[in-house]
Amino acid sequence: MKKRFIALTLVVALLITALTGCKAEKPAPDSSGNAKNENNESNNDSTDTSEPTTLTVWAWDDNYNIPIMQLAGEYYAKENPNVSVEVISLAKEDVYTKMQTGLSAGGTGLPDIVLLEDYVSAKYLQTFKGSFADLTDKVDYSNFLPFKIDAVSNSGRAYGVPLDTGASILFYRTDLIQEAGYTDADMQDMTWEQFIEIGKAVKDKTGSYMIVEMAANKTTLLRSMMQSVGKWYFDSNGEISIVDNVALEKGFALIKDMKDAGILYEAEGTGDRAGVLNNGTVASIVNGPWMASTIKAATDQSGLWRIASTPRFSDVEGAVNASNLGGSSWYVFESSKNKDIAADLLNKVYANSTEYYEDIMLAHACVSGYIPALSGPAFETEDEYFGGQKIYQIFADTLAKVPGVNYGGYVAEANDAITAAFAGVLSGDTEIKAALEAADAQLKNQLGR
Amino acid sequence: MKIKPKFTISTKKINGWITFIILLIAAVISVFPFFWMVVGSTNTSADVTMGTMSFGSALKVNWNNLVEKASLLRIFWNTAKTTLIYTFLSVLICSMAGYGFEKYRSKSRNLLYNVFLISMMIPFASQMIPLFKMMNKLKLMDTHTAIILPTLAMPFLIFFFRQSFISFPTEIIEASRIDGANELRIFFSLVLPPMRATFAAGFIYSFMKQWNNYLWPLIVLQSNEQKTFTLLLSSLSSAYFVDYGQLMLAIVLATLPILIVFLTMQKHFVTGIVGSSK
Repeated sequence: MKKRFIALTLVVALLITALTGCKAEKPAPDSSGNAKNENNESNNDSTDTSEPTTLTVWAWDDNYNIPIMQLAGEYYAKENPNVSVEVISLAKEDVYTKMQTGLSAGGTGLPDIVLLEDYVSAKYLQTFKGSFADLTDKVDYSNFLPFKIDAVSNSGRAYGVPLDTGASILFYRTDLIQEAGYTDADMQDMTWEQFIEIGKAVKDKTGSYMIVEMAANKTTLLRSMMQSVGKWYFDSNGEISIVDNVALEKGFALIKDMKDAGILYEAEGTGDRAGVLNNGTVASIVNGPWMASTIKAATDQSGLWRIASTPRFSDVEGAVNASNLGGSSWYVFESSKNKDIAADLLNKVYANSTEYYEDIMLAHACVSGYIPALSGPAFETEDEYFGGQKIYQIFADTLAKVPGVNYGGYVAEANDAITAAFAGVLSGDTEIKAALEAADAQLKNQLGR
Repeated sequence: MKIKPKFTISTKKINGWITFIILLIAAVISVFPFFWMVVGSTNTSADVTMGTMSFGSALKVNWNNLVEKASLLRIFWNTAKTTLIYTFLSVLICSMAGYGFEKYRSKSRNLLYNVFLISMMIPFASQMIPLFKMMNKLKLMDTHTAIILPTLAMPFLIFFFRQSFISFPTEIIEASRIDGANELRIFFSLVLPPMRATFAAGFIYSFMKQWNNYLWPLIVLQSNEQKTFTLLLSSLSSAYFVDYGQLMLAIVLATLPILIVFLTMQKHFVTGIVGSSK
C-alpha cells in the first residue's frame, strides 16, 4: 500500500512534468502575456497609442485600489481603445519588496505604474533617484489639494499623481454618547480635553471604552494630532523633528490621560480592532474614511453610528479640527517602455475627469485630492448607516482644512521608534521628554543620520 | 516489603496521567488553530473578529466572494504543478547527491560536502537580487521554471539523505556491483526500496517547503495568471477592510493539500526522521 502510494505520486509528478514542464517556460498564453511581449519588442517611447499596449500596474486591495485602477483603464480606453490596463493585486508590503528588488537589480521586472503610500514614497524617490518618471510637466497639477502635491513632490519636482486622501474622522456610537448624557452637537469641533471628559462619562454610564488604538503601533492618533497643527516626524527639509515637536509632546500626554482614565482600549491587531468596534466594546475611533467599511460590517448597528470632525489641541497654535491619515498616489517608472502613455493616462483620468472621481467615490468611498471632484451632487448622498449624514461632504470639508507637511518617507521607521518610546510613557516609567529623546536617538541611529 | 510494589504502581499511574494531561493540552493547542480556521471560514468577517466559536452560515457567501476575486482553479493548478515538479526533482537530485557523498569515496568529498553545508548559512534574502538578475538574463521572469530551478539542490535535504544512507550497508552495494548491476540500477532497485521511509520524509519536507514558498515566487512572478496560493493569501490579507471570513476559507483551501499529504505519509515521516539519526 505504502509502496504503491509513493510510486503513484512519483508517476503523477513525472506525468505532470512531461505534460506541462515545457509550458511553464513560455509566458501565459493569453492576451496579457502576448501584449507584454509586444511591449518589450516595440521600443516606442511616445504617446502613440495606435499599437495595442497593455499598461501593467502594481497595487493592493481587491476591493479598493484594484477596481479603482481598472476603472481608470476603462475610462482611458474610451478614447484610446488600443490601451488596456492590467492591475496585479499584491499585498502592500509585497509591492514594496518586489519594487525594491527590481530597482536594486537596475530597473528590471518592474511594471509601468505603481501605487505607493504617501508615507513611504519619499524614501524610494530619494534612494532610487532617476528611477521614477518626472511628471511635473506631463500632468496638470493645478487642481490638486496643496498637501497632496507636497506629498508627491521631491526637490521641487512632482513624481506622483494623487489617488486618495485619508481625511481624519471621528466615528462614534451616538446611542452610547446619549446614554452618557451628551448629544451629537457636543461631539462637533471639540477639543481633546472635552473628548476625554465625555469619554469618562461613557465609561461610567455604559461600561464601554471611549476610543481604540492599536497596542503594537500606537501612532494613528499621534499622526492625526501632528498633522492637525502642521507638524510631523520630519520638518520641511526632511530633518528629524521629534525632540522639539510640541504636537508629539502634547499627544503623548493626552493619550496617557486617556489610558489613565481607563477610556483607551488597546487592540491586538486590526482583527481585534474591528471586533471591539462591531460589538460595542468601544464607542469611537479616529481614522480615515475607509474605517466606514469596517464599521458597516456590523449590519445590526445601522443608524447607531455618526461621524464628526477630529478633536483638536486646545493649547497649540494653529490647531484645527482636521487632519489626514495616509493616502496613496500613482508613480510611473522611468524604465517603463510605455511611460508616456502611462503619464497620459494618469493626466487624462486623474487630473481631468471629475466624472471618474464621482464613480470611484460612490462605488468605493474613495475620497480624492482633486479639488473639482470635492463638491457636486455625489456629496449630497445621505448615508443611512450614519443616520442620514452626508458623510462625503464631511470628508471634503475636513480635507480643505488639512495643513500640509513633509512626510519624509520614513514614517514606518519613525512609527516604530515612537511606539517603543511611548510604551514607557504609558506605563509611567519614563518622562515624556526623555521618551522623545530616546525615540529621536533610535530613529537617527536607524536612518544613519 | 509489601508496600513497595503498590507504591511503584501508583507512581506509574500518576506519571501516566500527568503525561496524558500534558499531551492533551499540547494536542488542544495544536488542533485549536485548525478548528478556528474551519469555523472562521463559515462565518462573516464581523463574526470572526468578534471571536465567534460556532459554525456559521456564511460559507457560501465567503466562497462566492473568493471565487469572484481569484481564479481559484488556476491558482490551485499553478501551486500544485510547481510543488509536485519541484518535490519530485529535488528529492531525486538530493537523494542521489546524498548517496554519492556517502557511498563514493574521494579525497575532495568532504571538502565539497562542507562547502555545501556552509551554503546553508547564507540567508536567501542576500541571494535574492543576484538570482533575480540571473532569471531576468535567462528570460525566465514570470515563469514557473524560475520558481523551481534555483533551490532544487537543497543543502538540508542532501545532508538529511546522507545521514540516512550511513545506515545502509555498503557491502550490499559492493556485492551487486560484482553481480554486474550498474550504478543507477543499484540506486533505484536496491537502495531506494528499503529506504522508502527516508524518501517519504524527504518528500514531505520538500512538498511543504515549496507549497509554502512565498518570498521567491513573490519576487519572480509578475502576472496574475502565474500566481500561487501564498501570494493570493498575502494579497487577501492586505486591504483597508479585510474580509476575514473569506480569508479563512482561502487558508482552509490552501492548507488541505498539505494536511492530506502529511497525514497520509506521517508514519513514514516519523520513522524517516528517526532513522536518519541512527
